[in-house]
Amino acid sequence: MSHLVEGEPGSRYLLMGNEAIARGALEAGVSVAAGYPGTPSSEIIESLARTAEARNLYVEWSTNEKIALEVAAAASFAGLRGLAVMKQNGVNVASDFLLHLAGSGTRGGMVLIPCDDPGALSSINEGESRHFARLVEIPLLEPGDFQEAKDMVKWAFELSEELQSLVMLRSVTRLSHASGDVTFGELPEVKPEAAFKCDGFILDPNEGAVISAPVDYRHGQQHAKLKKAEALFEDSPFNIYTGPEKPELLVVTSSACNLYSKEAIKILGVEDRVGLLKLGTTWPIPPKLVGKHLGLTEKILIVEEVVCFLEDQVKILTAELGPQIGTKTFYGKRDGSLPMVGELNPDLVAAALSRILGVKTETVPEDYTKRTQEAGFLGAPNRELTFCPGCPHRASFWSIHNVLELDNRKGFVCGDIGCYTLAVLPAGFSTLKTVHAMGSGTGVASGFGKLGQFGMDQPVLSVCGDSTFFHSAIPALINAVHHKSDITMVLLDNSGTGMTGFQSHPGLTTDALGQDAPAIDPAEVCRAIGARVEIADPFDIETTQKTLLDLLQDKKGVKVLVLRQICALSPEKKGKKLFEMALDQEVCVGENCGCNRLCTRVFRCPGLVWDHEKKAAKLDEVICTGCGVCASICPSGAIQRKEAA
Amino acid sequence: MQVFGPNELVEDVLKRDFCIGCGACVNLCPYFKSYQGKTAMLFPCTLSQGQCFAYCPKVELDLDAISSGLLGRPYDGSDLGNVQEVLVSRAGGKAESGPFQAGGTVSALVSFALRTGRIDAAALTDREGLTPIPRLVTDPEEILKCASSKFTAAPTLAALNQGRQDGYSRIGVVGTPCQVIAVAQMRLNPLNKEGFQDAVGLVVGLFCTWAVDTRKLTALLSDRLDASGIRKMDMPPPPSELLVIDTGQGKVEIPLDEVRPLVPAGCQICPDMTSEWADVSVGVMEGKPDRNTLLVRTDKGRELVEEARKAGVLLTEAMPEKSLGHLRTASANKKKRALARARDRRVLNTNDDGGRSALRIPDEVLKKILA
Repeated sequence: MSHLVEGEPGSRYLLMGNEAIARGALEAGVSVAAGYPGTPSSEIIESLARTAEARNLYVEWSTNEKIALEVAAAASFAGLRGLAVMKQNGVNVASDFLLHLAGSGTRGGMVLIPCDDPGALSSINEGESRHFARLVEIPLLEPGDFQEAKDMVKWAFELSEELQSLVMLRSVTRLSHASGDVTFGELPEVKPEAAFKCDGFILDPNEGAVISAPVDYRHGQQHAKLKKAEALFEDSPFNIYTGPEKPELLVVTSSACNLYSKEAIKILGVEDRVGLLKLGTTWPIPPKLVGKHLGLTEKILIVEEVVCFLEDQVKILTAELGPQIGTKTFYGKRDGSLPMVGELNPDLVAAALSRILGVKTETVPEDYTKRTQEAGFLGAPNRELTFCPGCPHRASFWSIHNVLELDNRKGFVCGDIGCYTLAVLPAGFSTLKTVHAMGSGTGVASGFGKLGQFGMDQPVLSVCGDSTFFHSAIPALINAVHHKSDITMVLLDNSGTGMTGFQSHPGLTTDALGQDAPAIDPAEVCRAIGARVEIADPFDIETTQKTLLDLLQDKKGVKVLVLRQICALSPEKKGKKLFEMALDQEVCVGENCGCNRLCTRVFRCPGLVWDHEKKAAKLDEVICTGCGVCASICPSGAIQRKEAA
Repeated sequence: MQVFGPNELVEDVLKRDFCIGCGACVNLCPYFKSYQGKTAMLFPCTLSQGQCFAYCPKVELDLDAISSGLLGRPYDGSDLGNVQEVLVSRAGGKAESGPFQAGGTVSALVSFALRTGRIDAAALTDREGLTPIPRLVTDPEEILKCASSKFTAAPTLAALNQGRQDGYSRIGVVGTPCQVIAVAQMRLNPLNKEGFQDAVGLVVGLFCTWAVDTRKLTALLSDRLDASGIRKMDMPPPPSELLVIDTGQGKVEIPLDEVRPLVPAGCQICPDMTSEWADVSVGVMEGKPDRNTLLVRTDKGRELVEEARKAGVLLTEAMPEKSLGHLRTASANKKKRALARARDRRVLNTNDDGGRSALRIPDEVLKKILA
C-alpha cells in the first residue's frame, strides 16, 4: 500500500509535488479522479490509482483530457468529489467542455489540476493554463511550495463546493517534479453515495438540469460566484506577505517563482529592502489585499513564468486604485527585467533585483560562461536527443525515411505527439516535417491529401502512436476517409503510452487500476472506418519497406500501416532479447567507401559505438537490447544475429 | 580521371537531372538505391572520393582515359569506336528461341557464354510492367526471361555490383552505351584499390539512341494500357514515328512526339550510340527486323562470336556496305548532337573555373567531330 494512505496525520514525508497533490485530494475525500498522461502531471493519477483500493476511489486514464474532465464532472454532478488532471495543453483539449462546465456550475467539489511546463522541458509548447481560468471565469489557485500543494488541493475542493463552481489549481514542473517536506493531515472517513438529482426545477443548481443555459442567467450566477471567491481570497491564508513594513521594492509572485524569489532575496541579503507578496489565489486576485501591499511602495516587480498573467492583473488593479495608491514603477516581463520565455530560476530573479536595487551581485563568476563553453567544446561529448537502444521508432523511421527517399517524389510526414516526435531530429532521420497537437499529424495530412486539385503530387504521410490514435487521431482519420483524402497513416503501435511511463490506454488489456479491460484494436478501428490497413513488424525492415512502398503506389484514398512492436522499455519486454548480437570488426567496412559508418554515423543506435582504435563499429553489450535491426542494415554482414534462447 | 565523392555526384548528376538510372552507383554501399527507374541517395555520405562518382557515366567522364586504359591508345572520336568486324547476325538453330527483339543475337551469345563457362553470371534487365528490373542470372534457362528491349533507362549495373559483391569473377553484362561506359570505368580501377580484380567477363553492348524515363512512361501509359500485360515494345524504323507496345491484347501505338519529352536530360548529352567500349555491340539490322547488326570489337568478342558460330547458336553474314554507311552516319550524328548540347550546357571540357565536367574529350578530337 502507498505511504500516501499509510502516513499518519502530523507525520512528515518527503513528497514529490505531484504526490503532495494526490495526498491533498485524498485528505479532501476525493472519489473520482481522471486524467490523460502528460509530463509533468502523470504521477498524480498514478499515485491515486495506487491508493484506489484502500480509499475506495475510481481512477482512470481517460482517452483524452476532455473526457477526463467530463468523467470527473459526472462525479461532481452526482454529489461526489471529482478531480481531473492533465498537462498544460491538455486544458486546450478539454477547453470546450471547460467553458460549458464553468457556465453550468458543479455540485460535489470539483477541481481541475493542470501542470504547466515552463521552459518546455517535456513539451513542444510553453502553453499556459492560467489564462483558461480567466477566459472561462473560474477561480484559480497556485500553490507556492510542497506543503501548499497538498493543503491547497483540499481547500480547492471546499471552495468548489462553497461556490458550486469548478476550481482550477495550477502546478508547474518544478513543483510537480521536485520534492519537499509535507506534513500530513487527516484522511476523512467518508462513505460517499452517488446520485444524480435531475428532476427538479430546471434552474435549480442542486436538482435541475446541468446546463450552461439560459446563458445570461447562468453567466450572471458565475459572476456572483467569482465575486464571492474574490471576497474569500481576501482572507486566504495562502496569500502571504513577508518583508519590511515599508519595502523599497515589492515583489509579487506565485507558484514555484515564490521559491525563486525567496532564494534571490536571500542571496542578495536584501530582506530589509524587499517585500514579498506571495499569492496563492491568482484569479481573481483579491483587490483589497493586493491594493494594500501595492500602497506600501513605489516600485513593484512581478515574478512569474511564461505569460504576463499576474503582471497584467496587478497593473489593471493599480490603474483602478490610482487615486488611492498613486502611480507605480513596474518591473517584470514587459520592461525586460525578466525574460518573456523559458523558466525562471533564482539567478534570473536575483539579477533583476540587483538591477532594480543597484546591488552588485555575482551569482556565477564572470568568466563562467566562457569557461563552460571551452570545457564543453573540448571535453563534452555531443549528446543529442535520441531513441533508446532497441526502440521500435528508430526502426520505423529508418524504413519510412528510406521509403520516402526511394519513392523520390518529395513525400513527407506529418508528425504527432509521443516519443516519436523526436523523429523531427536526426534521431529519427529528420523524417517529421510538421508537429503540432495530439492527433494533428493525421488532421494536417488529411488537408494536404486534398491538395492534388492544386497540383500537389507529393505523397502525404502521417504518423501517430497508439495512445495518440485513441486520444484524437480517430476523428482526423474519419475526416480523411470521408473526404477521400490521399494519405498514408503509419500507426506506430508500441503497445503503451511510452513517453509518459506506460499508462494504460484503450488499446491495452489492463486499465489504470490494474484490472482487466477490453482492448480495442486500432487496426480494426481503421478498417471499420474504411481505410486500407496493412500490419508489419518494424524490426522486419525489408517487409516494412516493401509494404510501405506498395501503399505509396496506391495513390488514392486512405491507407494505414500499423507498425507493431512493443516499446523496448515496457515492463513486459525489459531485459528480454530477441536476438543475441555479434559484431565482427574484421568484416566491418568502417569508414571506407561501401559503408562509411552507416550504423554509428547514421543509424546511431546507442548500442553501437565507433571504436576509434580499430576503426570499426562495436557493440555495447550492456545496453544492446537485441532487437536485431542493425544486422538488417549492416551492408557488409559484420553484424550478425542469432535468435535468443 | 578525376574522382570525387557522393556529394559531388549528387550535385553534378542528381541535381542537374543527368542521372539516367544506370545502376552503376547502386549496391556499392547503403546510400544509393534504385526504385522504379530512379536512383535515390538515402542518406548523405561524407567521403571525398567514392566508387559511386568514379563509375558514374554522367560526371567527369574522360573518354581519352578510358580509351588509353582499355585499348592502349588515345580516344579518336571515330563514329563506331573500336571495331574489328561488322556483321549481320541472328540466333542459330542450336540457340533457344524466345521473345527476342530482333535476331536474338544477344540472348544467344550470353547464353552460350554462360553455358560454356566464359562467364559465371550475367547482369541483365528484366521487366515488371514498365519498370526495368536488374537481374543477376546464373541459370542459362533464365536468360530468355530478360530478352527484348525495354526502352526505359534501367539500373542493370546494380546487378553487376551485386554480382561483384557476391564474389562472381567473370560476370557478363548486357548494357546500353551509358552502362557500358560505367563498366569500362569500373574495369580501370579508378580508386587504385589494392588487389583489384576485374570481375567483368564479357560486355555485350546495345545500340541506343535514347531511352525514356520509366516513371514518366508509366504515367503516360497508365490510362492507355495494362502495364502488367506488356509482352514486347518496339520502335519500327522511320518513317513510322511510333512506339508500338504489344500488350497481348493487341498493339498500342504511341506517337514518338509524345515519347520524346520523356527522354532524360542525361541521354541528350550521350555521345555513344553503339556501346563503343563493349566486346561486341548489337542492334537491330536496318530494314530487317529479324536480324541484328553485330559489331565485333575485341579479341574476346571475336573469339566468342566464332565459337558461337561453330556451335550453331549464331548465324552471321556480311554487312551490306550501304547499311554500314547508314549506321556510321547515325552514330556520328548522335555524337555531334550530344557534344554540341554538352558544350552549350557548359558541362563539356570545363576548365578549373567552370567546375567539374560531365564529359571530357581531347580538344582536337572534339574539333574534328563537331566540324
